[in-house]
Amino acid sequence: MWDAVITVFINVLLYIYDFVGNNFGLAIIFFTLLIRLVTYPLNAKQMKSTQAMQDLQGSKEWQDIQKKYKNDKEKLAQEQMRIYQEMGVSPFGSCLPTIIQFPIIIALYQSITRSLAVTPLQLLALSKHITNGATLIPLNRQFLWMDLSQPERLIIFGFSIPLLAVIVAVTSYLQTKMMTPANPNANDQGAQMSKMMNLYMPLFMGWLAFSFPSGLAIYFITSNLASIIQYGAMGKLDWKNLIPKKKTA
Amino acid sequence: MKNKFLLVILILIVASFALSSCTGGGRVMASGWPGITVDDETAYVSFNQHVYAVSLTNGVEKWRYPAAVEKNVSFYAAPAVTPDGQVIVGGYNNILYSLNAANGQSNWTFEDSQDRFVGSALVAAEQIYVPSSDNKLYALNLNGQPVWAQPFATEDANWSKPATDPNCQCVYLASMDHSVYAINPATGKQIWRSEMLGGAMVGTPAVSDDGQLYIGTFLDELVAIDTSNGQILWRFPTQGWVWASPTLDGDVLYFGDIEGNFYAVDRQTSNQIWTIKSNGAIVGKPLITADGIYFTTEAGTLYALTLEGSTRWTKDFEATLHSGPLAVGDTILIATDEGGLVLFALDAEGLQKWQFSPSEEK
Repeated sequence: MWDAVITVFINVLLYIYDFVGNNFGLAIIFFTLLIRLVTYPLNAKQMKSTQAMQDLQGSKEWQDIQKKYKNDKEKLAQEQMRIYQEMGVSPFGSCLPTIIQFPIIIALYQSITRSLAVTPLQLLALSKHITNGATLIPLNRQFLWMDLSQPERLIIFGFSIPLLAVIVAVTSYLQTKMMTPANPNANDQGAQMSKMMNLYMPLFMGWLAFSFPSGLAIYFITSNLASIIQYGAMGKLDWKNLIPKKKTA
Repeated sequence: MKNKFLLVILILIVASFALSSCTGGGRVMASGWPGITVDDETAYVSFNQHVYAVSLTNGVEKWRYPAAVEKNVSFYAAPAVTPDGQVIVGGYNNILYSLNAANGQSNWTFEDSQDRFVGSALVAAEQIYVPSSDNKLYALNLNGQPVWAQPFATEDANWSKPATDPNCQCVYLASMDHSVYAINPATGKQIWRSEMLGGAMVGTPAVSDDGQLYIGTFLDELVAIDTSNGQILWRFPTQGWVWASPTLDGDVLYFGDIEGNFYAVDRQTSNQIWTIKSNGAIVGKPLITADGIYFTTEAGTLYALTLEGSTRWTKDFEATLHSGPLAVGDTILIATDEGGLVLFALDAEGLQKWQFSPSEEK
């Protein structure tokens, strides 16, 4: 089953590669955009759920029960579930689409690395996935200054700079900040968790881009920028989140 | 919220493992199969992080290089042996090594390549021809010094061991850029380049005495080329990529494809004489001896056929077989690669004489 998914991904990727004139970097970019288009309903649902959850957690009723039952966790959980049901919000509404997208991201990454096939066993394995693209093999691994099968480093004045990893971390941070509505209760546990995730997630993405073939970094950057543009088109970007707020006593 | 946070952390950890398992985490590790070369007394086997010298008499290890695992040193290309007792082998770390065949000590290294060595070196007329994944073919003398002013450049990686032709003093290179080249061994200049064949090539061409060259391609074909001018003489369609080098015996070409089909083709007429379907991809070069034909499949089976295509016997090794069989006298060598290297020495009927498995690091 998984192999069948990878086979479909690889062949679509090769089709795009052929279409864009044997440029694998462009093929990854267009393929990522295609995946974003196909998974748009999931993304839209996730955005909607996230917004609904933020609205709910900012409501007076939610704040009241936090204070009222702060020493009774069981009762607090019951009340939270009651509010979820009354407001028609699923606590996992923003998680599930992410989980469903996760295998897609892994499949996309595997299809990229398998297509590049830099070793004999990888090339032999690739042959079993290709239905009609043998004439394209071996793929052109060069894109701009990068070898897409290797982690990216840009040599400037003798220094090796992981430029793509930095761009991945920055675009991931921007995406998270601009797409996450400000939580009015900056001191509650959820807000603290969100703050931590907003910091660690871009670093994690940057580390992946630093350690893995640059084809993955191209995917991350394209995906991040596509998310920001998609949010912008929906009028949901929150530019104010980029500006650090003064701490209030 | 805490559960959600843990879920995200879990996803990140799973993502790291999922991605790492696909790539090896960027480490330089061989991802190929054993390459075997023999002289009168010794088999030289390159696999993963070592080159092993194994006695052909009893399968005992004589030496290994490097003696202990070294970070970023690994091998795929089969070693080549020079007349003056050097074992030449290229590494995945872009370095070509010359080792003393007697004791495995390093003689010299060649470090000009910008990419890994996958194809084996050809040793001919006291020169070493080394194909590289950096789109070059290097020619060195036996001291490891470049012979040509510039390495010969192709448009894509070179994984094929070159072939030679004493009749015209040529070196033939089948490249992954879909072309076959004839090169002047003295100057490194191109004599001719074939038309684009439409598929990459990783096997070594077979060259006949009367000036024909045969090579399989990823376009599901075996192609015959006139060695005097690079013109295509005929194309024989197959059912899958032809990875393995063809073996020429008289007027018959024997070769397999990765769909598991094994062919016998008349080289003069390009007519198929017979074909059989095996149980897995055929990647290694077939072996022809006085007893018949031997070839291996990825499914782990050694096939022994008559020259007429009848199966004499088969032997299952319960491990993948990518390397082709090799004959030394009346001994047939087979190397499995799944779960670690095992080198088997068999007689013509498939009975085991000895086997060699590398011992753990001392």
